[in-house]
Amino acid sequence: MNRVKTTKTSGITKTFTTMLKTELKLSLRGMDMFIFAICMPVVVLVILGIIYGNKPAFEGAEYTFLEQSFGALTTISICAGGVMGLPLVVSDYRGRGILKRYKVTPVSPMLILIVQVTIYTIYAVVSLILLYLMATLFFGFRFYGSPVDFAGGYLLVLVSMFSIGMMVGGIARNTKIAGVIASVLYFPMLIFSGATLPYEVMPAGLQKIADILPLTQGIKLLKAASLGQSVENMLVPLIIMCMIAFICILVSAKCFKWE
Amino acid sequence: MQEVISVQQLKKSYGELRAIENINLSVTRGMTFGLLGANGAGKSTTIECILGTKKADSGKISVLGMNPVSDRKKLFEKVGVQFQETNYQEQITVAELCDVTASLYRSPASPDDLLKRFGIEEKKKNIVKDLSGGQRQRLFIVLALIPNPEVVFLDELTTGLDAKARREVWTILSDLKKKGLTIFLTSHFMDEVERLCDQICILKKGKIVFYGTVAEAVKSSPYDKFEEAYLWYTDEEKQFDEESCTIQ
Repeated sequence: MNRVKTTKTSGITKTFTTMLKTELKLSLRGMDMFIFAICMPVVVLVILGIIYGNKPAFEGAEYTFLEQSFGALTTISICAGGVMGLPLVVSDYRGRGILKRYKVTPVSPMLILIVQVTIYTIYAVVSLILLYLMATLFFGFRFYGSPVDFAGGYLLVLVSMFSIGMMVGGIARNTKIAGVIASVLYFPMLIFSGATLPYEVMPAGLQKIADILPLTQGIKLLKAASLGQSVENMLVPLIIMCMIAFICILVSAKCFKWE
Repeated sequence: MQEVISVQQLKKSYGELRAIENINLSVTRGMTFGLLGANGAGKSTTIECILGTKKADSGKISVLGMNPVSDRKKLFEKVGVQFQETNYQEQITVAELCDVTASLYRSPASPDDLLKRFGIEEKKKNIVKDLSGGQRQRLFIVLALIPNPEVVFLDELTTGLDAKARREVWTILSDLKKKGLTIFLTSHFMDEVERLCDQICILKKGKIVFYGTVAEAVKSSPYDKFEEAYLWYTDEEKQFDEESCTIQ
């Protein structure tokens, strides 16, 4: 019994590694995720760095404008992968019958979805590391908060954004519809949630609209965690993010179309 | 003779539409079995129910003595499938698709050997969608053979191929047949069926209108040629005539 179990585990590991390697190559061959998830956050960082330099976030602030924006910048990649990349690839693979083909193999089509989630997580983490290194080296960035809080918040934002993407990809009738929904979600969130255009420079009216977007709440969490502010008044964003993740995962699990 | 595929009283409806009913099939080891019929006659539904990708309303299905839904993981170690649609990633290369496919099975055949055997080894670095129709179909046969299967399902393997490429595929299938592989295929080309299939089943509007060998099909029709016999079996007019005869 034990031996059978070992071969089975190593079998799945072998399948997972081979699939991950291939899908990663395919994703890089497509270039769009490299541009939107890796290059774009860096470009926005450099622009904000040049405009605001090491100026304090506001008069008398103990941290710089860039330090205040760091949390927001780290979500650009999550947003690109989760809300744009994931819905498109999932609906494309269903449209091509790739998910269905896995149903007539010993491996569950679920595995290729896990591989895709892993790929977009890799993009997001690479972007996070790159942003941290560049901000520290070139713009005097310092991280004030607790890395554990930040990691927790980051994971929550990642899970909730990816679950939105999985839901859209899983229930959209075809790639075209998935693309439209993804664009409707992605571009407003990218611009108005504070990921690129800093929340602090928005007029109050726009801030109210921004507050509706789920990513805005996620960015508040990351901002508080990276600046070492108290996490106590973060209860509302925390609950909102958990609710989004919970609802989207539930809907995906119930309504996912494999073909 | 060992039964490889067994289908009893298979029935499947889509809402009001009865896609297939009362389908009984039996395919023994080493046999090449052809499932024929016009588009919409229920061929794909039958195959998908046998493979478990569609749920039958009722009926008993067993492949290699296993249930295709509950024994999925075990059964598909030994079954190769080629679906009608193209189901591969847009930018994937031949080598990548073969490697990923091989990684799905516990003891796969070597993709390199198969590619060599089917004469597309030099295309390994090419993107699958850039292959010619014949090369792509040969690749799909390679993919279906990677599990070292005991039975393969080939859905309209030669549709869209030119005459030469079709002949190439026939030769390959004849060789596989000689090696004892059980083949379940669907086709729209009667010359192909005549040459390859030991037994055929003709579907019309979801029901079996003929079951037997090609020779028997010709014999019990008013024609001498199989293609004409096939058209006679599947002819829409005929059923109408028969019905009016019964009424009289």
